[in-house]
Amino acid sequence: MKRINRKTIKMMVGVVASLLVSGALSSSVQAFDYPVPGDFALGAQQWADSCTRCHNLRGPAELRDDQWITTMFHMRLRAGLTGEETRNILTFIQASNNSLPGGSPTKASLIDANGTNAQSGKAIYDQTCIACHGANGKGAIPGVPDLTDRNGRLSQPDDVLLINVVRGLQSSGSPMAMPPKGGNPELSEADIRAVIEYLHSSFGP
Amino acid sequence: MKTWRCHNGLLPILTMLGLAMPISVLADVPLETLKTQVEQLQMQLKAIQAKLEEQEQQSATKDDVYQLEKEVVQASEWLSPNTIVHLAGYGDVGYSKSYGDDDNGDFRVGTFAPIFHFQYRDLVMLEAELEIDVEDNGETNTELEYMTIDVFMNDYAAFVAGKFLSPIGQFRQNLHPSWINKMASAPPGFGHDGAAPVSDVGFQLRGGLPAFGGIRSSYAIFASNGPTLESEDGELEGIDAEGFNEDADGDKVFGGRVAILPVPSLEIGLSGATGKAAVNSDDGESIDIKLEGERDYDVYGADFSYQLMSSNVDWLQGLGLRGEYVKTKVGSTDKGEAASAGASWETWYTQAAYRIPSTKIEAVVRYTDFDSAVDSGDQKQWGWGLNYLFSSNVIAKLNYELNEGKEKDSATDSNRFLFQLAYGF
Repeated sequence: MKRINRKTIKMMVGVVASLLVSGALSSSVQAFDYPVPGDFALGAQQWADSCTRCHNLRGPAELRDDQWITTMFHMRLRAGLTGEETRNILTFIQASNNSLPGGSPTKASLIDANGTNAQSGKAIYDQTCIACHGANGKGAIPGVPDLTDRNGRLSQPDDVLLINVVRGLQSSGSPMAMPPKGGNPELSEADIRAVIEYLHSSFGP
Repeated sequence: MKTWRCHNGLLPILTMLGLAMPISVLADVPLETLKTQVEQLQMQLKAIQAKLEEQEQQSATKDDVYQLEKEVVQASEWLSPNTIVHLAGYGDVGYSKSYGDDDNGDFRVGTFAPIFHFQYRDLVMLEAELEIDVEDNGETNTELEYMTIDVFMNDYAAFVAGKFLSPIGQFRQNLHPSWINKMASAPPGFGHDGAAPVSDVGFQLRGGLPAFGGIRSSYAIFASNGPTLESEDGELEGIDAEGFNEDADGDKVFGGRVAILPVPSLEIGLSGATGKAAVNSDDGESIDIKLEGERDYDVYGADFSYQLMSSNVDWLQGLGLRGEYVKTKVGSTDKGEAASAGASWETWYTQAAYRIPSTKIEAVVRYTDFDSAVDSGDQKQWGWGLNYLFSSNVIAKLNYELNEGKEKDSATDSNRFLFQLAYGF
């Protein structure tokens, strides 16, 4: 046992030393601006994948943006995330934490209706919506409404869907509200209309 | 003064008007009409005065602009400080009633566990958790659950030093907070004095590794002071693996955990630790650890977690499965006055949790089998639970435990009802 222990110890010391050296070297050349923005779309997916392994998903609006920084660095250690994954998730959560000013905006005041550079509905869905709603529209996390339900969300008029997407929506039974614009503040009205069209064609009755 | 200024402005106008009017016109205008005109002019003057005062109130002076600029600078300081302080944590209260050992049923304050985060940019974080609870006699007990300084060295490695939660398995380091644990109690063998170590003091290196072919992985390796042992009536009775500032036996414990995620919803972990430990308490009294022989100390663990995130079978979505196995072995010694024989502690549990679609209700079932070094500690348990999620971090739990111990009507053998309200913040 002693021999095994010594071998194990030597091996571990070697691993620790090499990681420490590589870590020290990397940190010395690292650009030190924090938090470095991550990838929003990857962050949405990694957020849905990582957090539910241990606990219920906590909505972006539960904490302030600065509180999410410490929370995500804490979770980096707990969940075994890489630094890049941590930044991606943080970017997604902070972007999703933005709410529209004012109480109840009218449809006319929501967003610019003349978005001529609308992205494809599928591309937006794959980047912004898929993490929670899933590739098949049935929902990737518990409590998310089933978009394929004949009498479900998509049975509402498009104007209602548009307002719900822009303002965000708390579904009954869902652990968290859908953030405004699905968490992606860059989306224009034309983008959202394209997504709604994609939802109808892919998941609608 | 303002009124005087305004009158001054009006006088030339009135004079001009007067000069512009022919005398004959004035002679023809009745006195009453002139009076009315003057009154109207006075009213207009008052209105202009009021407007001017309103404008003065609304317009900003240079001082006002300076104050505003100062506030903007201060606000941006709040938005981007080098140090961020954050208070997180959890707490729980509830009720428990044990059947079979004359328990009257008690309302209980479970644990209040504030967690402090102090972060310097993205380089260093100090995190500490206190565990505060109330004893049966009303005394408040406070313990340091963990306190580490974490240095984020690069994207794949963080150096963690201090008192840390044991990386053996998942329950202690990730699942024990009451707002995360789906049941109101820890699985037997995973609490304090169980088979799974709780915490340790030492150095640790941990992080996530780059995904390879879509497969993610993480690791944690550590060197620590290790546990001490307790003996009673000539037998090893318990392991104190709760983090000591002293390495009494002089031999460090080395260990770690690796986890792979073949798919994002499945995590499989293997963990272990090896080192030496010695008895420091015999029959409840401290003994000279230097006179006691060192014993081999080895821990092995395996765990898995699977969350069914998306499925074509609607009702299966929301199902979460997890399980964990830990075995701790302590060797024998021919030195000292305490127990000479070795001992082992072994425990495992598996748990299924199911969130009923489109509701806030969650059903949980857990089975645990804890084989302690002493017969009185052995316990097999079926736990059934029904949870209501007020929100993702506020949970009410109703649990019923079917317990089977080796000593009839003991605490480990008595069935138990538990209610818990847990809040994570």
